[in-house]
Amino acid sequence: MDYVSPFDERTREPRRLAPRTADLRGRRVALLDISKARGAEFLDEIERLLRERGAATSRHAKPTFSRPAPPELVDELVRDVELVVEGLAD
Amino acid sequence: MTLLFAHADCPTSVLALRRLGAARADGAALVCVAQETPEAAARLARRTGVAFTVLAEDSPYPVSRAHGVDAVPTAVVLERGEEIERVVGWDAAAYERLLGVQLPGEPRSKPGCGARWMYDYGARGGLDELEDMFERGWSDGLPVIPPTRERVEAMLGGRDRTDSLGFIPPGHGEATLERVAACAVLAGCKPAYFPLVVAAVEAALDPAFNAHGIAVTTQPAGPIVIVNGPARERVGLNSGMGVLGPGARANMTLGRALRLVLTLTGGALPGALDRSTLGNPAKLGLCLAENEEASPWEPLHVERGFAPDASTVTVFAADAPLSVSDHRSLTADELAYVLATAAGATWSPFWWPMDYQSLFVVCPEHAALFRAAGWRKARLREAIFEHAVRPARELNRGETTPYVKAADPEDRVHKWTDADRILIVVAGGEAGRFSAVFGPCGGMGETAITKEVRWTT
Repeated sequence: MDYVSPFDERTREPRRLAPRTADLRGRRVALLDISKARGAEFLDEIERLLRERGAATSRHAKPTFSRPAPPELVDELVRDVELVVEGLAD
Repeated sequence: MTLLFAHADCPTSVLALRRLGAARADGAALVCVAQETPEAAARLARRTGVAFTVLAEDSPYPVSRAHGVDAVPTAVVLERGEEIERVVGWDAAAYERLLGVQLPGEPRSKPGCGARWMYDYGARGGLDELEDMFERGWSDGLPVIPPTRERVEAMLGGRDRTDSLGFIPPGHGEATLERVAACAVLAGCKPAYFPLVVAAVEAALDPAFNAHGIAVTTQPAGPIVIVNGPARERVGLNSGMGVLGPGARANMTLGRALRLVLTLTGGALPGALDRSTLGNPAKLGLCLAENEEASPWEPLHVERGFAPDASTVTVFAADAPLSVSDHRSLTADELAYVLATAAGATWSPFWWPMDYQSLFVVCPEHAALFRAAGWRKARLREAIFEHAVRPARELNRGETTPYVKAADPEDRVHKWTDADRILIVVAGGEAGRFSAVFGPCGGMGETAITKEVRWTT
């Protein structure tokens, strides 16, 4: 039967995970706070652990958790860092 | 010669064949034409134990159609190629007379079923197409109408199918009119409903609605649809008895069509990108028409700046409705207090004040009480706002706001940050004093969005 699909097939392709990083020494890691309450405290601890492992960290924040990150923030991350830790959600 | 038309999904056909099989009816005089594939016809013959010939006739069932058989079992008695008699359904006495056999047992007669070709859309097996929709993942859990090209063209009603309404978050599938029409067909909409579906999608895509946040949240809320103006009557929407529940095709399928656009085209499938912990029943789809005729006030769309004779669709993110019974309040103020108290518990009982919108659906009997008291809508809104107030000390537990935690224990805290967070419509049946308040979708910075319906014909 010839059906009209409700799906946009361009968006259905599953994305593959990037390979895990074996060595954090010297890697540029962004910590992205999504601005839920006390998320920063959790990221503080993550940052400490990453620095112990030799990563170079930077801190960033979304204006609100309820909307996608602003394009300028995404561009900045793409340009300046190699890895991103995003948190903290429910 | 008697041709006995039957198919395996008709219990009466199976009954007839079993009885005839048990009676060893003479195969010289009787041939069964099964509206089945050869394999299925063979299974039917084995199952019913018939000794006479069973022929298989698959789609498009030319012999059945040629004999005008639209029900099974039907026995067509032929003499020299001409029909002299027909027996529709199971009729033991008629078969005994025709075949000269005894057919004991009950029932002696029973109505039949539709012939295979009455409802199989040209494909084999009747329900195969509907199962196919489930297997493809084109469903919300209930059966959907397969979106054939013909049905989608009829739904589009001459519109350009490549026109785009935008990209639907969170998956960013593009909402071409063709895809929106496919979802409307899936939902069971009539083409007459399509302009409202389009308007609802446009409203949901307004950035101020924040469809993205609402789609992926762990909260239970989902978009609901409120219709105002002449569209209600034009498409047959229910604004009266049972308005928040099932029963009216326009209401059920319109609400469902918007949800299918968001979940299928937009990718917000529960358990995938839709992370709602519990969901809520209204996420199947909810569309209500305001009962403007029973309302003492200006309708929602007029309040929001549209002409009374404009047809509009308002999309609002809401949790399931909380029913508020009040058959005892005698004054407007008392009733407002009851509505306010009920609303106080919605979304999170102590998260006061909340900067989220609440929708009240006031039933006609309650609206009549406000009318008799001479209360305008603004007065009711203010009264609800003022009555939903508590000292901070009562709110300082569990999930509460930084505002409450920082407040003096005796500070009076309102449920909402502002009275303008309160939306009010009138809907429901004429008898019964049950209003409702919808829980909000919190923290999304969203607002209800109203769009005018554009008719092309």
